[in-house]
Amino acid sequence: MCVSSTPRIDSTADADGTLPIWRAAQVFRLATMGYAVGVQIVQHGHYDRVALSWVLIAVQSAWTTYLGVAYLFPRTRRTPLVVAEVVVTLLLVLSTLTVVPHHFYVHQQPLPTTFWVANAVVSVAILRGRIAGMVAGLGVGLVCLSALDQLGRWFFDATLPILGTVGLAIGASAQIARRAHTELQTAVRMQAATDERDRLAREVHDGVLQVLALVRRRGREVGGEGARLAELAGEQEDALRALLSRARAQPDDRSAVGTDLREAVRAALPPTATFAAPADPIELPRQQADELVAVVRAALHNTERHAGPGAASYVLLEDLGDEVVLTVRDDGPGIPPGRLDQARAQGRMGVADSIQGRVRALGGTAVLETGPGTGTEWEIHLAKGMR
Amino acid sequence: MSEAAAITVMVVDDHPMWRDGVSRDLADAGFEVVATADSVAAAGRRAAATVPDVVLMDMHLPDGTGVEATAAVREVSPRTHVLVLSASSERDDVLDAVKAGASGYLVKSASAEELIDAVTRTAHGQAVFTAGLAGLVLGEYRRTANAAPTDAAPGLPALTDRETEVLRLVAKGLSARQVATRLGISHRTVENHVQATLRKLHLGNRVELARYALEQGLD
Repeated sequence: MCVSSTPRIDSTADADGTLPIWRAAQVFRLATMGYAVGVQIVQHGHYDRVALSWVLIAVQSAWTTYLGVAYLFPRTRRTPLVVAEVVVTLLLVLSTLTVVPHHFYVHQQPLPTTFWVANAVVSVAILRGRIAGMVAGLGVGLVCLSALDQLGRWFFDATLPILGTVGLAIGASAQIARRAHTELQTAVRMQAATDERDRLAREVHDGVLQVLALVRRRGREVGGEGARLAELAGEQEDALRALLSRARAQPDDRSAVGTDLREAVRAALPPTATFAAPADPIELPRQQADELVAVVRAALHNTERHAGPGAASYVLLEDLGDEVVLTVRDDGPGIPPGRLDQARAQGRMGVADSIQGRVRALGGTAVLETGPGTGTEWEIHLAKGMR
Repeated sequence: MSEAAAITVMVVDDHPMWRDGVSRDLADAGFEVVATADSVAAAGRRAAATVPDVVLMDMHLPDGTGVEATAAVREVSPRTHVLVLSASSERDDVLDAVKAGASGYLVKSASAEELIDAVTRTAHGQAVFTAGLAGLVLGEYRRTANAAPTDAAPGLPALTDRETEVLRLVAKGLSARQVATRLGISHRTVENHVQATLRKLHLGNRVELARYALEQGLD
């Protein structure tokens, strides 16, 4: 989904958060190149083909400069460059065979590359993560060892463990950087979406809801056709308000440990019911909240069936710290004394029993107060948390 | 309704259609609409100039909230009573407005008669409660009562048992008259208890503000 006003992390500058690692790696590339040149200057006297060795070191320097600069830029397409880097590195390693006498390069590092080979491993690791980095390290290491005819001594040589570890460590850090980058972007996007929803809610409130509320008020006074319009406007106003308040509550719901009983109950109420609750969330384990919502539904359903269409319903939630109190009341005709016992004696499991049963199963208490002319009132006490 | 003629009202709402509609209803019923305002700044200025008996307050204003506007009005004109008109989805704001000095709350979809009755009662210093507001206020007292005692300095004075009982019944949707019948006390006593719960809430808020000012070295 695209939100137009999203404050974005500049994706052209750093698509996946690894740019700082790429840049740091180029410093390492420069240092290893300096080392390789130093080795060439000190040792070229021992080589078979001195002129060729200078050509090779020049090629290596030029390639290093090109790569070093290319990787600094965020827009560089890295995959083909990394592939080329690995190929050139391996070719340079193998060129050792043509430059140096066999007796010299045994027990030596590959020339003219020396430890510079690690750069290719680093690039693969940043591009593809720790597994690819480690595989590249071991692969390049094996090529170095075989070029120097050292495969039989791999166990005594530091090349494999060092290059493998470099690939693993750099790859892991690149993955961490990528993940952090993704999480940051998600957070920014979520924030933007929330802001957008709030803005929408404000605008709708300022315009549409105001007009609906006005139509509802005026229409009722006009009467007749106007009253019908008022009723329709009222229904839409309630629906829109419910929608907006739910949309606003959503981000909190996701981060909460349990369920906010207020929101759960509010969502289950018909628009005609009056709801009262504290300003702060009442956190309950999901199962407890679900059961209480079911109790509210059952009580409202009962009101609807027995108290007639004119009866109003009232729901109150109270948070006593370690206990919640739920009251569901209606102002209908009430239940005459003995009527419940009579129903039970006839073997009919009334709504009363179902409410009592649910609450008892949760370890709470449910008390029904009713009488002719005083409506019905359920008061449910429940300790927070599961037992 | 001869006494209604003396009641002066200011309507604060940024929606012209709503402002005019409500103003007309009030004028028709004999109230004197001495000012209207469409922002927090204007509300403060005009309340200072006109000192109305009642301010009808919307919760959304272009330069701030109804909570800020309520505080501004009460600051420049302490004798003015603020009645919040709000939508049901803004419960938490309503509690803040009441803490800032509003003495009642009515849903915007209330009928003209309900509105006129509420303004009259507000002008006479009575608290206009809905079940929803009672639930919020009750929750606020419960919250401070539950807070650890080390949280020291109880910002809110405790309610008496009777006040809690009355507030609970109002939150359950009973009218003042029904509460009076159920508890066997007079209608007037019920009103007094309800008013007391708001007065203590304002008081608590003032204590909180003073403590905050002291901590911040602003006193």
